[in-house]
Amino acid sequence: MRKAILPYLANPVVVVGALLSFGWLFVAALAPWLAPYDPIKTILPLMQPGAANPAGGIFLLGTDMLGRDILSRLIYGARTVVVFATLATVTAYLVGVTLGLIAGYWRGRVDAVLSYLANVVLSFPVLVLYIVIIVVIGSSPFNIVLAVTFGSAPAIFRIVRGITMDVASRDYVAAAVTQGERAWRIMVFDVLPNATGPLAVDFCLRLGYTAITIGTLGFLGLGLPPPTPDWGTMVNEGRGMAIAFPHLVIFPCLAISSLMLGLSLLADGLREVSDAQGRRT
Amino acid sequence: MIELKTNSGAPLHRDVADLCERVRSGAIDRRGFLRATAWLGVSMASAGAFLGMGEPAFAQDEAPVDGGTLRFACQIQELTDPMLTSWIEASNLFRNSLEFLTYVDANNVTHPYLAKSWTPSGDLKVWDFDLDERATWSNGDALTPEDVIFNIQRWIAPESQSSNKTAFAAIESVEKTGDHSFRITLSRAVSSLPEQLYSYTCPILHRNFETDGANWPAKPVGTGPYGLVTYEVGRQATFKKRTDYWGTPAHLDEIHYIDLGTDITTHLAALASGQVDILYRTTIAEYDLMKSLPNVQVLSGRAANTLVMRMQVDQKPFDDIRVRQAVLLAADNQQMLDIAYRGEGDIAGNYHVSPTQADYFPLEPIPRDVAKAKALLAEAGYADGIDLEITLGNTQGKWEQDTAQVLQQNLAEAGIRLALNVLPASQYWPVWDKVPFGLTFWAHRPLGSMTLDLAYRSGGAWNESHFASPEFDAALDKAMAVVDPSERPKAMRGVETILRDAAVMVQAYWPSRFTAAAQTVRGFELHPADYFRMDGVWLAKA
Amino acid sequence: MAVTLFIIRKLGGAIATMLTVSLLVFLALEVNVADVAVKVLGQFSTDAQRATWLAANGYNDPVVLRYLRWLGAFVTGDWGTSTYYRTEIASLIPGRLAASGILAGGALLVIIPVGLIAGVLAGMRPGSLLDRLVSLVSVLTTSIPDFASAVFLSAVFVFWLKWLPGASTMLSGFSISEIVLPVLVLALYSTGYLARVTRASMIDVMGTHYVRTARLKGASPTRIVLRHALRNALITPVTVIMLQFPWLLSGVIVVEVFYAYKGFGTLLYDAALNSDIYLVEACAMVSVLVVVATQILSDLAYSWLNPRVSLADAAMGRG
Repeated sequence: MRKAILPYLANPVVVVGALLSFGWLFVAALAPWLAPYDPIKTILPLMQPGAANPAGGIFLLGTDMLGRDILSRLIYGARTVVVFATLATVTAYLVGVTLGLIAGYWRGRVDAVLSYLANVVLSFPVLVLYIVIIVVIGSSPFNIVLAVTFGSAPAIFRIVRGITMDVASRDYVAAAVTQGERAWRIMVFDVLPNATGPLAVDFCLRLGYTAITIGTLGFLGLGLPPPTPDWGTMVNEGRGMAIAFPHLVIFPCLAISSLMLGLSLLADGLREVSDAQGRRT
Repeated sequence: MIELKTNSGAPLHRDVADLCERVRSGAIDRRGFLRATAWLGVSMASAGAFLGMGEPAFAQDEAPVDGGTLRFACQIQELTDPMLTSWIEASNLFRNSLEFLTYVDANNVTHPYLAKSWTPSGDLKVWDFDLDERATWSNGDALTPEDVIFNIQRWIAPESQSSNKTAFAAIESVEKTGDHSFRITLSRAVSSLPEQLYSYTCPILHRNFETDGANWPAKPVGTGPYGLVTYEVGRQATFKKRTDYWGTPAHLDEIHYIDLGTDITTHLAALASGQVDILYRTTIAEYDLMKSLPNVQVLSGRAANTLVMRMQVDQKPFDDIRVRQAVLLAADNQQMLDIAYRGEGDIAGNYHVSPTQADYFPLEPIPRDVAKAKALLAEAGYADGIDLEITLGNTQGKWEQDTAQVLQQNLAEAGIRLALNVLPASQYWPVWDKVPFGLTFWAHRPLGSMTLDLAYRSGGAWNESHFASPEFDAALDKAMAVVDPSERPKAMRGVETILRDAAVMVQAYWPSRFTAAAQTVRGFELHPADYFRMDGVWLAKA
Repeated sequence: MAVTLFIIRKLGGAIATMLTVSLLVFLALEVNVADVAVKVLGQFSTDAQRATWLAANGYNDPVVLRYLRWLGAFVTGDWGTSTYYRTEIASLIPGRLAASGILAGGALLVIIPVGLIAGVLAGMRPGSLLDRLVSLVSVLTTSIPDFASAVFLSAVFVFWLKWLPGASTMLSGFSISEIVLPVLVLALYSTGYLARVTRASMIDVMGTHYVRTARLKGASPTRIVLRHALRNALITPVTVIMLQFPWLLSGVIVVEVFYAYKGFGTLLYDAALNSDIYLVEACAMVSVLVVVATQILSDLAYSWLNPRVSLADAAMGRG
């Protein structure tokens, strides 16, 4: 086990990526303890970063136009991103992996139908798909998760299906089948482990895209309803005042970018290490 | 002693002498005097001379320069039938080509326009109007009383979908009395009729409008100083100066209205980089940005426009007045003004009449009382608090949502859990009068009674709160018949009290209005109702 | 022969996809008949007017019949009238699509050369200073969402330096200065992405057997890259470039809305915000059509670059 983890820890790209991504996870988990103020409570409007709160304490990153502490909103915003982006990505994975395993394992007509449907959904440009879905069903946290699931699952499906087809043709799977092993056991215990590498990489990237997508929807005014602290919405709300009060926009942008950076570094690093391992064996 | 004259040459209305007496004694101010005498058909030149101030004119240091093209950043909305318009932006487009019977200036004083004079009867129920015989249509036809009668009858027809139907519900008949004159007969006395005729849904269309297809941009016949050249929804509309205009010619050669989307930051970016000359509107959010831009003049003013967070009195749980009262008592109007609008405006007291309106009566404010709000909720059966949802569309900008967010925090203190349902602006208008609890922007009207007549009269087309009170309607009728400026507020006292005590809405403040223009733009007035007449606007050489 | 077969099969697949998409779009937007009437006639219409309109336009017929009629009209170019723009949709879309095409084309003019060159240079010598620099810059730019870079580029170039115009309406004709910022925003993200893909692909190819052989034979590095590595290294990037089209179609929405650029993105956005359902339908169909077309092109390009994959294989679908 240690041998499996060690090469990852020795890779600086993985370490930096993991620090950034898990850093935000940590922040999200501990938000109530880390945030100096209530993220939706009006205190004093438009304080510059570092300004003192007359009631004690300082506004490290300043306050927004409604007088809410920006640091606290960023910290709670991490929750929004982590919860909604993760939830959306995980549901997309549940759907994509399940259908991918089924299609790749059984092939035939099931595969044909599923692959075809995946193709259809994938032929929508992502944002077009989301906008149409949100026009039809409206904007709510649940609907955004639903839209992202619908949009991402086909891509995951394709990856899993490909790997499953590859693995399912190997000898040990054939052996398991002849031993009368149940199909779902083969899929979960024999096929799936082979897919974890590529899926981990894809998961990191997809999580980042989903975070950006939620931000973009917030930016277009189709995002989560206020006062939920959400980084994209914070950028959107602050940009009219960005010339006079740059802190309204810079910090949420840094938050989104650092999370995205962390996740893509993590993905890069994971790929690098697993490629190196693949070459050695 | 300078004699007052009417525009028509008819004898002065009997109330005029009384008004003269009151302005001399100081009981009413000069503006109030001008406004009231204007309704009664008195010539503003003679009224100005009477007050020893000459005709109230726009003070200008420079002589206007003719020529040039002005680019105006403004949403280009769908427009077919002007009387059905619910966007003031659209009215500013056709305002260049279509004219009104009267003109109300930025100081709320009514002037002759297509109607050169008017004479009310002593009981203010019969109004005789004379049309300016010079007025002609761009297709060569003369303006006739038939044109006017055609328009007014469309407004008040039983199947009319226009907000004019409510506004002019008092009109009993309109008839031709001469080649250039017509008479409006009312069922009840209305003193401000001439002022109401400048509402943005009241442009005078050609009598053949309907037979020509009832689509104005497709056949843009008008009497105004500019002719419509192109009209592309979502892109631009262009107007060109008419050489055969019947009145004083305009200064600009062309006006291009350019649709820059809904994002005001982009509008300011376009202004800063010289792509447009003037913006339709900016909001408090861009205040610092505007101030920081060189070569840009910031225009601001106060008016009777406001946000109304109204509750439908016939919908659960708002059918219980205690719930509505609890909402009003828990709301902190001052904090909404201070935080959501950065204090740039005047506090309001939940009765939708503004200090800038001549008939305003200041009611004693009811102090915020969270404990009492809680008690009322408990009495109404919501001892554990209540969940409410307010729908809004940020139709004027994000400060609508900011106001609702402050309200959300205010109400939380009383155990009211308010959820915000934020829709895109264009999705709010289809439901603005349908949602049980909604935040609606109401534009300026010169008189409080005009707003209340549209918004709170029983069964009115725009009555979004479904408020219905015969007592209120009667009090409003009475107030609308008063001519004397000093008597109007007294009459409005009862109207305002009934409305406020019915706890129909949280109407927290009167936001100041802002816009920005290039330094070269001259003669542009920030009309309180956003009615921008462009014929007096010109461009200085840079 | 193979090419013809390939194209026929691909077209067949594309038509099937379009049919399914059309069914989905139709079901999503037109199943609620009452809703359609409100959206088309407006909120001020009366129930009687709506009922008359629905009857007159065949909305009381069974769904299947309505779908077939709608599809027939759509295929013959009758896309209905936009309730927001008040014009024929079929006359509205081509111009808007062309405007977006110009924007996307401008972006690709930046993305392709810069991304490919940076990626190839970086991938030639992994670990070199240049490689590190390219990797760092590209991972940073791909971490900035386009709405954030739009805000910052505007702040710097419009408000601060005053070099560029702040809106890109192009209403008075095409203007280079107006297209710079939108193109830059679109390019910023995608160039980094392409550079990363190219670099990775280049590293792979440089490590392959035949490149190592060529190197052992003493061929010059330039010759190795140009003669042996480049063609193979370009396979993935070209696919990526082709896949950028659908991505750009998404990206243009944010950029066009931000810069008030009158393209396909703002058209769809306005249509969505104004519940202009016929226009939403047409936009969705057209964007899918664009994606499907680029997929076919991408497959053709892929097989041209990689002769080992026959078109017949490609026609079967590569998963």
